Order: sequence, then structure tokens, then C-alpha cells
Amino acid sequence: MDPLQQLTAAQITRRHLFGKAASGIGVAALASLINPKLFAAVGTESTGGLPGLPHFAPKAKRVIYLHQSGAPSQIDLFDYKPALNKLHGTELPASIRNGQRITGMTSGQASFPVAKSIFKFSQHGQSGAWLSELLPHTAGIVDDIAIIKTTNTDAINHDPAITFIQTGSQQPGRPSLGSWVTYGLGSENQNLPSFVVLIAQSSAVNTDQPLFSRLWGNGFLPSKYQGVNFRAAGDPVLYLSDPPGIDKATRRRMLDGIAKLNQMNAEAYGDPEIDARISQYEMAYRMQTSVPDLMDLSKEPDTVFDLYGPDSRKPGTYAANCLLARRMAERGVRFVQIYKRGWDQHGDLPRDLALQCKSVDQPSAALVKDLKQRGLLDDTLVVWGGEFGRTVYCQGKLMETNYGRDHHPRCFSIWMAGGGIKPGISLGETDDFSYNVVADPVHVHDIQATVLNRLGIDHKRLTFKFQGRHFRLTDVAGELVKQIMV
Amino acid sequence: MLQIRRLISFLAAAAGLFAAESPTRTINFDRQIRPILSDNCFSCHGPDEKNRMANLRLDIADGGAYTKTIIVPGDAKQSRLFERVSETNKAKRMPPPYATTSLTPQQIELLKNWIDQGAKWETHWAFAAPKRVTPPDVTDKSRVRNPIDNFVLARLEKENLKLSPEANKETLLRRVSYDLTGLPPTLAELNSFLADKSPDAYEKRVDTLLNSPRYGERMAMQWLDLARYADTHGYHIDSSREMWHWRDWVISAFNRNMPFNEFTIDQIAGDLLPNATVEQRVASGFNRNHMINFEGGAIPEEYQTEYVVDRVEATSNTFMGLTMGCARCHDHKYDPISQKEFYQFFAFFNNISEKGLDGRTGNAQPYIELPSTEQKQRQDELKAAIAAHEKALPEELISKQQAAWEAKELANFPDAPREGLLAHYELDGSLGDASGHYHYARVLKGDLTYGPGAAGKAADFDGETAVTFGHVPSFEQKQPFALSWWMKVNSKVRMTVLQQISDAVSHQGLEIYLDDFELSGIQQRVPRVYIRLAQKWPQSAIEVRTADRIPWPDNMNHLALNYDGSGKAAGLHLYVAGKPVKLEILKDSLTGSTHADAPLEIGSLQPGTPFKGRLDDLRIYHRPLTPGEISHLQNQEPLRAILATQPDKRPKDQKEWIRNYYLTNAAPAADRATWAELKTLRETAKKLEAVIPTSMVMSELEKPRETFILARGDYRNHGDKVQPGVPAVLPPLPKGAPLNRLTLAKWLVDPTNPLTARVAVNRYWQMYFGTGLVKTTENFGSQGDPPSNPELLDWLATEFIRTGWDVKAMQRLIVTSAAYRQSSRVTPELLERDPENRLIARGPRFRLPAEMVRDGELYMGGLLKEQVGGPGVSPYQPKGLWEEIAFGDGFTAQAYKQDHGDALYRRSMYTFWKRTSPPPEMTTFDAPDREKCAARRTITNTPLQALVLLNDPAFVEAARALASRMMTEGGTTPDDRIHYGFRLATDRNPAKPEADVLREAFQEELQQYKRHEDQAQALLKVGESPITAKLDKPELAAWTTVASMILNLDETITKE
Repeated sequence: MDPLQQLTAAQITRRHLFGKAASGIGVAALASLINPKLFAAVGTESTGGLPGLPHFAPKAKRVIYLHQSGAPSQIDLFDYKPALNKLHGTELPASIRNGQRITGMTSGQASFPVAKSIFKFSQHGQSGAWLSELLPHTAGIVDDIAIIKTTNTDAINHDPAITFIQTGSQQPGRPSLGSWVTYGLGSENQNLPSFVVLIAQSSAVNTDQPLFSRLWGNGFLPSKYQGVNFRAAGDPVLYLSDPPGIDKATRRRMLDGIAKLNQMNAEAYGDPEIDARISQYEMAYRMQTSVPDLMDLSKEPDTVFDLYGPDSRKPGTYAANCLLARRMAERGVRFVQIYKRGWDQHGDLPRDLALQCKSVDQPSAALVKDLKQRGLLDDTLVVWGGEFGRTVYCQGKLMETNYGRDHHPRCFSIWMAGGGIKPGISLGETDDFSYNVVADPVHVHDIQATVLNRLGIDHKRLTFKFQGRHFRLTDVAGELVKQIMV
Repeated sequence: MLQIRRLISFLAAAAGLFAAESPTRTINFDRQIRPILSDNCFSCHGPDEKNRMANLRLDIADGGAYTKTIIVPGDAKQSRLFERVSETNKAKRMPPPYATTSLTPQQIELLKNWIDQGAKWETHWAFAAPKRVTPPDVTDKSRVRNPIDNFVLARLEKENLKLSPEANKETLLRRVSYDLTGLPPTLAELNSFLADKSPDAYEKRVDTLLNSPRYGERMAMQWLDLARYADTHGYHIDSSREMWHWRDWVISAFNRNMPFNEFTIDQIAGDLLPNATVEQRVASGFNRNHMINFEGGAIPEEYQTEYVVDRVEATSNTFMGLTMGCARCHDHKYDPISQKEFYQFFAFFNNISEKGLDGRTGNAQPYIELPSTEQKQRQDELKAAIAAHEKALPEELISKQQAAWEAKELANFPDAPREGLLAHYELDGSLGDASGHYHYARVLKGDLTYGPGAAGKAADFDGETAVTFGHVPSFEQKQPFALSWWMKVNSKVRMTVLQQISDAVSHQGLEIYLDDFELSGIQQRVPRVYIRLAQKWPQSAIEVRTADRIPWPDNMNHLALNYDGSGKAAGLHLYVAGKPVKLEILKDSLTGSTHADAPLEIGSLQPGTPFKGRLDDLRIYHRPLTPGEISHLQNQEPLRAILATQPDKRPKDQKEWIRNYYLTNAAPAADRATWAELKTLRETAKKLEAVIPTSMVMSELEKPRETFILARGDYRNHGDKVQPGVPAVLPPLPKGAPLNRLTLAKWLVDPTNPLTARVAVNRYWQMYFGTGLVKTTENFGSQGDPPSNPELLDWLATEFIRTGWDVKAMQRLIVTSAAYRQSSRVTPELLERDPENRLIARGPRFRLPAEMVRDGELYMGGLLKEQVGGPGVSPYQPKGLWEEIAFGDGFTAQAYKQDHGDALYRRSMYTFWKRTSPPPEMTTFDAPDREKCAARRTITNTPLQALVLLNDPAFVEAARALASRMMTEGGTTPDDRIHYGFRLATDRNPAKPEADVLREAFQEELQQYKRHEDQAQALLKVGESPITAKLDKPELAAWTTVASMILNLDETITKE
């Protein structure tokens, strides 16, 4: 082994040992610089993960998480409650509410009238899953997904709830799900970040709620594990484009010059960090080609745009992001996190929820279909859902055709599909008011444990020692949702 | 395979540094045994009483281990501890299969040897007072510059290692300049240092650096991470706050060399000091830097609890190196801190006059006003002038005069214009029409309620109420008309005020709506008014909007709309508050009838966006009104309603309204003038008030808030009530002292406190060497790393106290040691043996912190604008970063407004820090997010960092500026310029091969830019700083690429 490679080896070990800087990607890139054949041999194997991971054979290699921010109403979409037709306008029984806390927005209401859903429900697919008329396209994939109707959370407002479902803790400071996954498993590709975030521009009447970079943040993990936001406007990755007036040839010459100078310095100082720097510059250069190529939808055929719907031609829409997620899955991006805002229907729910579903239903279903027909659904785990549910009682004035719903943490519906998930099942039962779980509760930590498990990770053993404690995504909880696991 | 073998040998080597030593060597319990027990055993056999198993504690000597033959000193084979950890049957082995940790063979061996050697137990080192030992003798005395070196060398000599040679002068000056000021030296400073052959040249330079105002800025950088300093509140909507006075206090405290004990006391309890000064109160803001929430619907008590928890975490972490937060939900798993003790500590910080939900419009209570000297003076002047003017309008006299005027006025009150009046809805409690046509409007859905209006009552629309005015005739293309109404708006999103349209497709008819609300103002509703008259939208229609956005007052505003029947956009005129406003024509294509086959509607409309607000006195005329008539409707009509009310029955706002009217319009000329001046003065005072900065501070409640143990840390589960107190494992509070923060603050810096001084000096060590003597800077508990050189740590801690907590003296001591001054060159052998340089056998070498990367490169280009302190600034940032995640709609810090001029080039510590979207060039280089106290930054090396340095406009501009300097200051030949630029960035001359690479690059790019001058122009346009006009463009562009290469070198962003 030549001295430079020795240093590289030492660098790997050093980083594994001390959780520092680290970049398997970078190391591969460096190898490519020395010997291009080496790079070719690396192929699509995982690099940069922890030794010993995955803990067992994974069912899924990657995740696409479609977070519906603001909290979709389970009562109007997934959790069919015909009994509410008769109860419409009656007071929510105290025995159902059972003294549970409610938000500051409705705690002052003198009355808690039950609001039925004005939307029609019907059964679909061989599984016979009930779905609202607002989700006609999701209806077409019910036999491919597992709907969990009894997800529940600890938080009752957006900030803590979305922080909880994305980081396992209601309060800031912990790494996000995507960060944990990439920290544990490393990257599946050499030219793209392994954790990508896509924020869909708002299409509905409101942008509620705000998002926070902590949702894809690295918390106490090294910052290289933070999600990289791929943006629809401007550079897809911050500062990806060369400045005006620097063309590709000049850039290449500059990089070669920088590499030569850094190399001389590496020889003088012997610090492997310099070698790592060289390789990171090469990775940056490759990203300058691979990212625009990834974001360029122009070669997608019309049939694909038809599948995802007309919005998919517009950059930055949820539909375009779903299509990009598929392209990322093809290229081995480990974790794709999409955010779609606008689900916070405190008032005017019938109008606004219908609008919201219009922009979300078709692309979500299209993604599952598209992955399936390309054979990618087998090893891609798709998750769809918000941070909590919505109340059966009406917020504001209940009218015949209009109502609003407040936050409800005690049950909500999410669905999962793909790698290692049983298709075509509905799990869990809530009471007639979609207020309490009657059977098969699934806590947010259970979802997180299950996602990790499908990736071949034991959620109890993926830890990081910080402030003296071995932290994990699921804190001290988390049971696998075995009923939905293949 | 090679790699794996390498890995194993490397692991062994790294472990060997502090762990596996030969059995004959005495094993150190604190350093070698406790960490194993803590990490693997304490969570079930430790301080946590509720979850303790087998009634066995291994965190203390008398926890049962010695009495139950768990440990039989001198005989590992008889000890059940050894038996269980070395058990081959997995089911019986400790830690058990369900645990997340397991022991390595080396660790088991260590435990065995320790027991065989007698199993000597020691109290955890960090909880015992530091022991000051005489600096040890060393063999290589020539290298010793101060006692630090005795300790470092003694340790090295034990390992048969030596100190590396001293770094050359260039490297040394660059290193110490970055370390003490955050910036590299200038070439003049470098040259004079190189020329200074006196033996204390270096020490003199250190003193100069310590006396630079930049020193305070540099020291504050680290402190801001600990204090989780930011310019926004952090949760949810994340709008702005003002804490920069606190930040500036920190900088100033460092620059004044405030002793660390005072520094601590002021920040923990400055507000409680006798006769606390403004500065001391500002300093107490250390514990108000935590995140603050005002999410609609959040529960105040939940967040008030979080704030206090955050204070406990930040305080214990920053000053004590303890993770007290771990004991929030249960007894600490590893350290002797019970849950009760956590809440006793919590009680010190739970007594603030704060609200759980606050910060919607800036700082959250409690805060203090901090006018500048000029502002204070202006405030006093205004106060005096206002008082004088008020005195000139004596209440009694004015009341009398006004009463006389009122009586006369009422008798001769002119009528409102009646000609052409089609309908008049007074909205005083009913939907009756007072025009004489007497057509009632009616409520279509929802409830209509009435509140105080401009004249009498007014109708409230909540967004769900709909009212139809069925008898109002349609507004026609060729028929002049006028509308007059009063309106208050309760929302900040698009809303239709009124509409009369056939359907939502053609929009045939009239619509008036508000849209385009300004999103960035503080809580202001600033929309444009839109008016649309259509036959078929958009082909045949008129649409106009107000050219400017209109700041909407909190009360009622009067509007009047005239239409002359011309069918043209120019025929529409809008009056707001009696004054005509400029309209912009958006569409002017009307060609046919605008007759709507529908009634006039207001409120929740089908279709349309609902009106949310208050409406009063709607009048409809079929002719335009004259400006005089509009003024009458705006002024006299409300007056008529007020006059009709008995003076003593008028509500306060009516009283104020009529007083204003009288003094503005009817009083004697002198009084009118005085009143006009008084109004201006009051407005000026109000505006001044709004710009006077404030700073959040600590401030005790009169009546203390009770503190309870919270079961599982949940604010809802009150357990036993507790009094303020400190953990029993630490020295007690002085007897009889009041149980408040001031007592706590003094206790923290009492020389008997074993933690505070050690934690502080350890962080300084980390700042210079990259890793602390205790690597886990944030955790001195049993789960933290033991000190690599405990004697040195204790010596430094006691020295710190001995010198009166002299912060500058401590920095000086460290940076003048031979240990610090070593070359950072590393051999493969040493790298393998001590990869993290814990033994200090070489100088520190690591990438600069984020702030220094940017500041240094701006400085090299001569762009940095130095100005200590002030509000945060907004340099270049990619467009839309804030907006794409923001809540928007009228809160601050939702849209990024880039600054221009000097603000683009301030030091990075002044960049506005939005917590939910921190500055990307900072986080990319590992700056923490400032949500929580952070004692340590990791250093990563990523492709995104390369993209920032290569392409971020700030760095491209820095390269262009450096190139200008190379051309204008660096001589005339390419080689001279290369040497100059290279030296500016690295403080050394390039070797020949290095210069060759850069010269070739220059020549190649010069050809390129000569061929493509447009590219040169494009490159030079990056950044807002002016270009030196006389420089040749292609040449400057070529030098810019060379400068960019220099600024991208690993060496440039590294402390060598």
C-alpha cells in the first residue's frame, strides 16, 4: 500500500473511531483520483456507513418520506366514520374526550360539536380499504400500501409534533430521521448527497405551517449528515453553479491547480485532512454535473408527466418533487424527504382540504405506481403522513357544509408502501369518533423503529454518544409494527 | 483486507494511548475503570434509584459491591463482577443481551487487573477539588517555557516522545493571530515580526493581539455557541428578537478583561446585584437567549417549563460541564444528580416574570429599553415638549370651550349629501336602509354582530357571515356611481370587500377587494385596494389598484369610490381617509354592459374570498361625489353621531375623536396650532419608542413561583414541591444565604467549586488545540472522557483562580507555552499513535471555524469592514431560503432583505442568525444551529464546503478583491503578484513548484479572458464592491481565478 493510501486508511479508521469529519464518499473520490479503475470498481456499494451496519439483511435500501405538514384530516380522508352522520352537531361526549388536553385554539370553546365528514367514502381494491372521494388516485394503489389508522403522538401543536415525528423528540437538538439513516448506512452513490430534502411550494390557499431546518438537521451528529435541500429556483444545491464568467474548462483547470497545490501541502504536513479536502473538491465537481442531470426532467416522456399530473411539469410543485424522488431512488439517494405544506384546516376545511388533495393525491399515487413499474418499490420504502390528526369536533362555527378541525394527537392515519411493507392492509381501529384508539395503537416511535428496521437497522443499536448518553432516534421507546412488516 | 488489518492495529494503538497498559502498571480507577463501569453498568446499577437492579450500585464505593462479594479486592476470580462480565453463556453475561453496550476483551482484562491490584476506589475526579501539584521535572529542560510545558513534556517523556520543534515564525504568527483575534496578520505585521529579533518578539506580539478589540470578538464567538445566541425566537414562526446588546456586552467584557468570576455572576444574576447597572441587567440576558414560542394554540405552561429546563441545561453545561438535563425525567443514570436535585436547581431559574407564550412582536418579557445617548436625549426633549404643549391646552378650559362649540354645532349641523342617494345602510344594529327607500338587507348565513363603529355601531363579519343587499341596483358600464363606507380589516390575506357579480367565470359586475398584503412589516395590515368592473373577465373589463400599499389603521378607515360612467379605467377614483389616492391601471378593455344578474353581497361569498372585518355606514349614490362631500362623509358624519350622544355617555374613543376634531377644526387658531404641534410631537415620540432597542433580561417575580418535581419531566405532572438547591455531591451553598440566583452565581465561582474553573480552562485548551484536555468539553460527569493530563488540567484550573480569574492572562499562558508553539507537521508514526494529538507532541492543525473562514478571506481581499457590535446584518444569501419555509403573513424575519454597502462585509459573528434557517455558509462549515447550548463543534470536510468557497458570491468577490490587491499592491511581474497574494493568504512565500502552478494558471486564464472579454466582465460583476477602474479587465479576471485558487487551498482555511 502506498503512503497516501495508508493515510487514507488511517483516516477511515480515525473517523469511524471518533465520529469526526468522515467521508466515505470522499475517500472513494480520492481513490478515483489516484486510480480511476478503483472508482469504477466501487460501483453502487454503500460507503461511509458505520461498521457492522446494516445489523441484519435489509428489506429496503432507501426511503422516500412524503411529509404532509400541517396534519391532514384522517376523518375526511382515511378513517371512515359513518356513525357520525347521526351525531353531526351533537356535543362530543365527555366519556370520549376523557379530559384529554386540547390546544389553546379551541380550549376556550363553549361547545365541542361533532362534525361528520361531508365527503363520500367508498371501498377500493381487493383489500376493500375505505377512502374518501378526495383521494381517487390513492384509491388506485390501496392494494400496494399499508394504511395505519391508529398512529398517535405526544405533541399537540405543530412545532413540537413535526419535530417529534422527524427527530424522535418534541424539543430541538436531536438528529433527524434522514440524518440517523445516513449516519448509520452511509451513501449508496458517489455523485449525490445521500440525504436530500425537497420543499414543495405551496399551492393551496395557505402555507401553514412554517418549516424549520432542524427537521432535516444533524442535531448532535456531525454536520455532514444534515439533509441537503434541493431547490426548484436558482441553484438546486446552494452554490452549485460556477460563477458567471468561469466556464467548465477554466473550472477544471482551477480544480487541477488546487489539487496539485494541496497535494504539495499534504506532503509537507502529512495531515490526512488535506487528502480528504482534495477528494471533497472532486466530489463537488462531480455534483456539478450529476445534480443538474438529476433535476433535468426534459427527457422524461409525456406518459410520465401524465402519470404524475399536470403540476409535475412545474418545478417546485409537490408533483415535480415526487417525480424527482423517483429519479433520486434510481440514482441511489438513500433518503429523500419531501415536505408539502397546507394541511392545517382549522376552518373552511371542505374547501381547503379538497384543494390540497387535488395537488397531492395524484402525484403520491403516481410515485408508488412509477416505482413499482420500474421494480424499485421492492427496495424503496415510501411513507406518507402528517404530524398528527384532526379533531372530530368542529373548530369555530359548525354549519351544514362548512367546518374546521383542530389538532388531534390521539389518532391519525399514515400509509407506508414498498420495501418490506405488507401491501393492501389497513391496520388499527379507532372509536366511532376517530378520537381514541380501540385496537393496535402505533406510536410515532414505533413508526420510526419500523422504518429503521426495514433498512436493516436495529433502532436500539443505532446510537450516538453525546453528553455522556447513548442517544437513539426512538429515545427509550419504539416497538416494531410487525403487522405491516413482510 | 489490508484496510481491516490496518483498522485493527489502529484501534489497538488508539486504545493503547489511555487504556490497555501492562498488568504490572498501576491501574488508575478514575481514568481507566470508572468509564467502563459508567458506560456499561450505571444505567442499571447507578444513581437512578427507581430503575436500579439487584439493589446494587457501582457508581459509589458503598453501593453493595464490596459487601456482596461482587468485588473481592485482590481476587478477581472470586469477584462476581469479573465472573459475570467474562461469562461465556450470553444469557448470563453482563451487560445483558438487551443492553446497547458490551465490553471488549481489553476492558474485561482491565477490570480483572484492577481487582487483582486491590480494587482501589476513588471519588469521581471532577467532583473533587483540583489538586495543585508542583510542575514535574523533565529531562529536556531546554524546551520548557512555562509550567504547562513541564506537564506536557513529562507526559510525553513517559511515552518516550518529544515535543516537535518550534513552528517557524510565519506559521506561529498566523496561528496566534487567528487564535486571539480570528483574523490573520497583515503583511506589515508579519514583516515587522520577522524583523524583530528580540527574544520576546513573540510575547510582545501576543500582548498586542490581546489588546486588540478583535480579541473580544474572537472570544465572544465561542461564547455565543454556549449561550445559544440568535436573532430570532426559534420555534414555529421564528420571528425576530433583539439580543445584540447582550452580545456586545460579552465582547466588551472580554476586551475589558473582566475576571471570569464577575463575568459569570453578571450573566447568571446581574439583575440581582445590589444597585444593578444597566450593563449588569443586560448581562443577565445569558439565560434569555433560549428559544421562545408563540405558536397559536400552544399551552403556555408547557413552554414556560421548557425555557427553565433550557436555562438549567445551558447553565450546568457552560459553567459546570454537567448534563443536568438528563435528570429531568428521572434520576441521572450516570452522575449523582437526582431528579429532585434537578428541580431544586430548576427552581433558581423558575422565578422570572415571563409568559409561556410571547415574542410575537419582538422581545419577550421581561426586557429593558436601551436608548442610545442621542435617543435618550431626544426622548427627554420630546417628553418636555409634550408636557409644555399639554400645559398650553388646559383640560378644564378646553372642555368648557368645546362644550360651547358642541352646542352651537349641533344646532346648525349640515346634512350629509342626499342627492342621488340610492341606499344608506347605517349598520347601527340592524340592516335597515336609511335612504328613504327603506329596503332591508338580510343575513344569508352565519350571525351578524355589531360593535363600536365610526358613527354609532358597525357590523362585524367573521368570515362565515354573508349578507345580501338585494335591492341595490346593478352597477352599469355607462351609469356613474359612488360608494362611501367605513371599514376595519381583521385579516392579512386576500379578501373581497363587496361584490355584485353574475358568476365566477365572467365576473360580470363590480368587485372591490384587498390583496397583496405586505408580508414583512410588524403586525401591519398593508394591502392594496383593487377595483374591478367587468363584462367578461378578462377580455372586457376594467381593473385598477392603488399604486401604493395602504397602511391600515387598527380602527375604522373611510373609503369612497367614484365612477364617472365613462367605461374607462380613468373614470374610477378612490379616496382613502378623505384623500384621493393614486391608482394603477391593470386592465382597461371594457366594451359592454357590466350589469350583474345577482345581488350585492358582503361577507362569506359564493364565490369569493370572505370578508373578515368591520363595516359601517355604507352609502350608494348614482352620481360621483365631490371632494367636499367625501370630506363631509369622512369628518362630519361621525361627528353627528357623537354629538347626538350625551358627553358623559360617550365611550373613550368617541371622546378622543371629538376632542381631536374640535382642536383640529374648530378651536381658536392658537389652540389649533398648539394641538397640531402636540400631535406631531406625540407621533414622533411614538416612532422613537418603536426604534429604541430593547434587550431581554432576567428579572425576579415579586411573589416566587412554586417549583414542583415534574414526573417524567411533564409540566402536567406535579410531584413534591421543592426549594432551590444544589446537588449534594457538590459543595453546599453558604449557610443562611438567600436561595436565589445570586447565591447560586457566587457559589459557581467559589474557589471550592471543583468544576467551574476546570471547565473554563478546558474550553480554552480546546480553542487552541482543537480538543480539550477533557475531550468531552460539555460533560465532566462519569460518562465524559477522563482528562488526558489531569495534573495539567488541575494546575491550570488552580492557576486561573489564583490569578483572580484573569482571562487574558490564561490565554497568554497557553499561547506562550512551548507546547502551543510547536510545528504541526506530523509523521505517519505519530499520526497512528496519537491521531487526535491528545499528548500534544505536535502543534495544533485544524480547519478554521466557519466565522474565521469567511472573515479571513474577506480580510485578505481587503473587504472586511470592522465595526464592533450593533444589530445583526444581512449579507449575500441565495434567494428564497427564508421564504420557502416561512410562515409569512405579517411577522418579522420571514423574508430575507439583503443589506448593501459595508454591511455586506462585517465579521460573520454579526450575520443575522435566523434559527430555522441559519446562514448556510456558516452551517456548511459546522457552526451549530444555536437552538441549544453547544460547547463543542465537530469539524467536517464536505463537498458543500468546496462549493461555498468556489462559488458563493461573497468568496468570488473576495477573490476579485484579492486579485485587485495583487495587481495594485503586489508589484508588476506575475511572480511578484503571486508571491504577494499567496503570502496574504498563507503568510508564507510559495515554493517554486507552487508559484509555477499559479503562474501557469494565470497565463492560461489570461489567454482565455483575452479571447472572451465578455466572460471577464461577467466574472468581475460578481459582488457589489466597486472594481478598481484602471485595471485591465481580462487581466483582473485571470488574477481573480488565481486568487480564488489561493483562497480555496486547504492551507488558507486551516490553522497550521
